[in-house]
Amino acid sequence: MKIEISKDWCLRMAQREGDAEIGAGRLAIDPVFDGERIPADVAEEESPNVAFGRFVNLMRRQRGMSLEQLADDADVDMADLVEAESDPYHRPELRTAYQLANYFKVPQAGLMQVAGLAALKDARLFDEGVRFAARSESTAELTPEEGAALEAFVAVLSEQK
Amino acid sequence: MTVEVTEVHLMDVASGESVAAELWHVITEEQLADWEGEWVPELFRAMQRLRRAGVERAHWPQSRHWDWRRKVAALQGMLANPGFSIVCDGATQGMMIVDTVKHRGRLDGQQGQHLVYVEFVENAPWNRAELFDPPRYRGVGSILIRAAVALSEELEFHGRIGLHSLPQANGFYANTCGMTDLGADPDHEGLRYFEMTPEDAQAFIAKGRSK
Repeated sequence: MKIEISKDWCLRMAQREGDAEIGAGRLAIDPVFDGERIPADVAEEESPNVAFGRFVNLMRRQRGMSLEQLADDADVDMADLVEAESDPYHRPELRTAYQLANYFKVPQAGLMQVAGLAALKDARLFDEGVRFAARSESTAELTPEEGAALEAFVAVLSEQK
Repeated sequence: MTVEVTEVHLMDVASGESVAAELWHVITEEQLADWEGEWVPELFRAMQRLRRAGVERAHWPQSRHWDWRRKVAALQGMLANPGFSIVCDGATQGMMIVDTVKHRGRLDGQQGQHLVYVEFVENAPWNRAELFDPPRYRGVGSILIRAAVALSEELEFHGRIGLHSLPQANGFYANTCGMTDLGADPDHEGLRYFEMTPEDAQAFIAKGRSK
């Protein structure tokens, strides 16, 4: 395909364009997930969710990994991961929760519920999530108690189909 | 692999001078390596700055989670989904993937007509004023849209193009490109759909010729 674009055209249009944003395309992380939607019954919920971020934080620290390493190894967006760990109001991308579930070898359905991306099917998961968040401390080095809390929560998660 | 290249120019914001650049009619592994090695780390650092500055997430770049490697793997291998990229100063400055088959005109008088649909287009982080002050280069968006128009003409779609703009870019497509805003599309995450008619395409090209 032949295109001729003169220098003058480029510069005039650059001036007209100025500092405008130019992004276009679906918001979904990649075409693989374009078809997936957050269910309507959970999409509007804005309640804080400490358990998911704490879970990711402890699983990461248990492995001695930095956020960057985890993002790299689990193939997730680093910014989404940072927000997931630090902002209880942040709802992670579907793909992030999906990838992390695979990486940490916990059931996707359970982690989706914990992440607030799927309707909660088991009330016990919510209670255990709250208990887990209460028991663990996000900034300290992983203590034996945190390790135990994490393992207990993983056990409950693993029961989810 | 032979890469078809068109000579173009970008504006260096710091100096106000033009800089020679290349419009590649493809997205290659070189661009994807730039995305991983240059764009993603810059974007992450920019996110950290926005976070520290207390900027609300709603004002962060909406394309921050895009994965170009996956997009290209899923789309560009198909004949119907060619890609374009702009290279300047040894780095990728912008990328675009289009679709030439699946989409049709929606505007009155254009309904059912073939068009080139812009699946994804994005500027390098350092060219984005909301992330870098001052940004490095201007003009990436206009050149990529010009390429979409040229492809539309080549395919005898007469310059018709369509796209769903990210909210922060609505002004660019409405004002700089002169596309018609058909409103929020509930089937595309509520993004606004913009369309360029053959007449709009000629007007867009003429804009760059008039002082």
